[in-house]
Amino acid sequence: MNLIRDIYQSIVRRDPLSTDKGKSELVFLNVWLHIHPAKVKKESLKFKHTFYLGFITFFLFVILVTTGIALMFYYRPYPPHAYQDMKDLQFVVFMGPFLRGMHRWAAHGMVVCVFLHMCRVFYTGSYKKPRQFNWVVGVFLLLLTLGLSFTGYLLPWDQLAFWAITVGTNIGSYAPLVGGKLREILLGGHTVGEAALLRFYVLHVAILPSFMILLTVVHFWRVRKDGGLSRPVWKLKPNKPEQLVTIGAPPQTAPLNAVAASTDKTYGLMEVVTGKPIFETITPDEEEDAVFSYPYAFFREAIALMVTVTGIMAISLFFRAPLEELANPAKTPNPAKAPWYFLGLQELVSHSALLGGVVAPTLMVLALLAIPYFDRNPSRRPSDRKWAIWLFTIFVVANLVLIVIGTFFRGPGWALVPPWVHVVAGAE
Amino acid sequence: MNRRNFLSWGSAGVVTLGTGVAVSLGAVVRFLMPSVFYEPPQTFKIGTPGDFAFGMPTFLVDEKIFVFRDREKGFSVASAVCTHLGCTVAHFQSDNRFHCPCHGSVFAPDGSVIHGPAPKPLQWFEVTLARDGQLRVDKDKVVPAGYRLMV
Ligand code: HEM
Ligand code: FES
Repeated sequence: MNLIRDIYQSIVRRDPLSTDKGKSELVFLNVWLHIHPAKVKKESLKFKHTFYLGFITFFLFVILVTTGIALMFYYRPYPPHAYQDMKDLQFVVFMGPFLRGMHRWAAHGMVVCVFLHMCRVFYTGSYKKPRQFNWVVGVFLLLLTLGLSFTGYLLPWDQLAFWAITVGTNIGSYAPLVGGKLREILLGGHTVGEAALLRFYVLHVAILPSFMILLTVVHFWRVRKDGGLSRPVWKLKPNKPEQLVTIGAPPQTAPLNAVAASTDKTYGLMEVVTGKPIFETITPDEEEDAVFSYPYAFFREAIALMVTVTGIMAISLFFRAPLEELANPAKTPNPAKAPWYFLGLQELVSHSALLGGVVAPTLMVLALLAIPYFDRNPSRRPSDRKWAIWLFTIFVVANLVLIVIGTFFRGPGWALVPPWVHVVAGAE
Repeated sequence: MNRRNFLSWGSAGVVTLGTGVAVSLGAVVRFLMPSVFYEPPQTFKIGTPGDFAFGMPTFLVDEKIFVFRDREKGFSVASAVCTHLGCTVAHFQSDNRFHCPCHGSVFAPDGSVIHGPAPKPLQWFEVTLARDGQLRVDKDKVVPAGYRLMV
């Protein structure tokens, strides 16, 4: 029995979890958990502050990676095998439809959640100093999410895939000067063909996920280094913007070896280097508001994980991922629609390809990136930032309205048709 | 090493490194540009004049072209690729116009835009008679809308 105990203790070196020391060591000594602080503010765990949307987005990504790797065992990125493999997954492969469904619905879910997460960060003013750059990282995560959806969309090689990518890449070719070449590089040709499928595959399974993982790591690290999550709005002191409370920490300019030992608190190297205590927004009297990450934070994150996984599994049990006919370059389906989250874009494009397809989205992304640097209002309280909230809400609603029009109100020939009128398509 | 030496070696180093990075980036872009395109040829034969009926255009699926044969004017070939974003337009007999299913562009029989987001008229391609008596279309040679091959 000694041997077993020795082995166990060589793996798990911490004290028992019943002790505070053990709870801290669980976080310190574990490479996966130590992105968390040992203790977190109780208020950070509040559901109504974050709705756990960032976590849910991340968990959806984990589902996507796992199911995606499973699908790779049966998928050849070469037309028309690609489509046959989809049919196999749908009808022959054990649990194929379920896996495909999970991958598809998690992808849709991720687009929804990443957007909602961005809205939550905006409405709680959490992009303000010192979190400006993490917002920028977030915008790139949003773009990567859309990029993964777009590249994944071609892989089934059905009619929907073929035409959505034909239209989508042609939008890119309207970009001034480089547009045409850009499209040629992306497609590896002049039309969507076998070279394009292979390129999209490599982007979808290797390049974009790598960047996604890289940026996610930076994103999480930043949350931690920016002092943990922002305070919930309802905890902000009235008329006093959130500020760093430095409880007797040495000034930043002090040379490291000349730091006087503090009498009321001891500082680690990290606090000396940054010149501020790690719990930057906590005053000593608030410190009792902090709880150990184990079990409080981990427990809640585990619940978010389980809800996400079971939710996606349940949906996949009842709804299959769609698969249309084999891609046919000669016959454009009518109406030919992009995936729903690009239908707002397609709606804009139906008015002008250059303005709607290139100028408007570019401006939107630039505006998103610029938000934390242009919004110089230090207050995070909603009553102090009516303008910002109005503008952002208009942005969100405009996007939703365009998507709804594109999804429900556009019939054959992209004509305006209300959803309650049934049109028989393709009269000729 | 004195200051002067340090600066000159240093800047030489920076220039070398910068050039190296720029050249590598250029190489990556060039690598991504295919040298060979495994795509259908731009010039192809479509059959003998007798294969085509008078009046309504014939749609050739794989080539994505409409072949017009007109009793007086001869042959002309129009592209079926919408100039907006590349969907394939359909020719409706009812109004003798081209309709794009993607964003609703409509083109007149001469290819010009009637309405919709398409910025340019449909393209017309050169069609010639090959030695073996077949019609040959060259998609690289765009011709004005009035072009006709008299057979
Ligand atoms: C793949 C996409 C993303 C993942 C996986 C992700 C994940 C997370 C997680 C787990 C948190 C911790 C708190 C929470 O759950 O809300 C967080 C916070 C944050 N995220 Fe994201 N995020 C993503 C995209 C974005 C986007 C699109 C933005 C904004 C444009 C953004 C901006 C932020 C900011 C500023 C914080 C700090 C919020 C605070 O301190 O209250 N993130 N993110
Ligand atoms: S592709 Fe024809 S109208 Fe857009």
